[in-house]
Amino acid sequence: MIECPSCGRRQQPLLICADCGSPLAATLDCFAALGMPRKLTIDLGALERRYHELSRMIHPDRFASSVARVRDASLRATATLTRSYRTLRDPVARGLYWLELNGEKLAENNKRVPPELAELVFEVQEQLAGMHDAPADSDAACELAAQVVARRSQLQATMDASRAELERNFVKWDQRPDEKMLTLELKAILSSIAYLRTLIRDVDRALENSKAA
Amino acid sequence: MAYSEKVIEHYNNPRNVGSFAKDEPNVGTGVVGAPECGDVMKLQLKIGDDGVIEDARFKTFGCGSAIASSSYVTELVKGKHIDEAITIKNTVIVKELNLPPVKIHCSVLAEDAIKAAIADWRKRRGDNFASGEQPLRAKEA
Repeated sequence: MIECPSCGRRQQPLLICADCGSPLAATLDCFAALGMPRKLTIDLGALERRYHELSRMIHPDRFASSVARVRDASLRATATLTRSYRTLRDPVARGLYWLELNGEKLAENNKRVPPELAELVFEVQEQLAGMHDAPADSDAACELAAQVVARRSQLQATMDASRAELERNFVKWDQRPDEKMLTLELKAILSSIAYLRTLIRDVDRALENSKAA
Repeated sequence: MAYSEKVIEHYNNPRNVGSFAKDEPNVGTGVVGAPECGDVMKLQLKIGDDGVIEDARFKTFGCGSAIASSSYVTELVKGKHIDEAITIKNTVIVKELNLPPVKIHCSVLAEDAIKAAIADWRKRRGDNFASGEQPLRAKEA
């Protein structure tokens, strides 16, 4: 229970006081902040509606002329709300957060990179090194740059497929959240996405640099 | 965050960068990654019949600390017996390179890479060689 900074009554830790409707600076997990069930599958429409509704109610503009502790609660509640919404809206961020809430660490017993993915990383990085080393404005450099651009869209397609697979599997993981094998599977997909994201970032940086050169 | 001088030195002059042919029978390859940041590290060890590491190569795609950790490890393991190399702890790397707390996972990655490369070499040899000694040493430790 926490004390409402506006009416002073004891309240459940939520973002809004049930008695007077003022913002509360409660420490909440992302699901609780938005009043969503702690599940990987989420109703995105309901999430968005809830976010807009709560944001209107606790918005700092509404409390601009209130006393300092109420203004402060409004700012803190808004920060919690926004962070929670951003985390839950994105399936990858939501998956990582769900692991965290369940006391799981992504990197724990999870250092092996799947061989096909490792091959891909090394192959693409070789390509980037080749592009970097080719004499500027040479035919070879142009050709290598074109190959990297093609590779970029291929990687994006792989990323999209992995994200789709992640979301498809959310249902399964929600049904059996305690099954160790399924948690490992979730970690594996989230890890693959992390490796792909880093690789795509490196490709983008290399393409930026080659344009600048 | 500032990198230590030693990290910068390894980053600018990485030792033993590159690869051995993967199908060489006396080469063990370990590929490990840090899923939090997406860094990937490949360590290859050329190991003699007597179990002594003759040479090492690495390729790391990651931050300066990850590159420095793997570069340092290639120097560290050369000339060591695999039984000794497998006991190398990440703390040795942290100390040598003055890694800050947020970069400790890079040294853990390098430690894991050594273990993975030796495991791969053992697997390729059919698990017979040197494995007899392993349980004994484990008991002593």
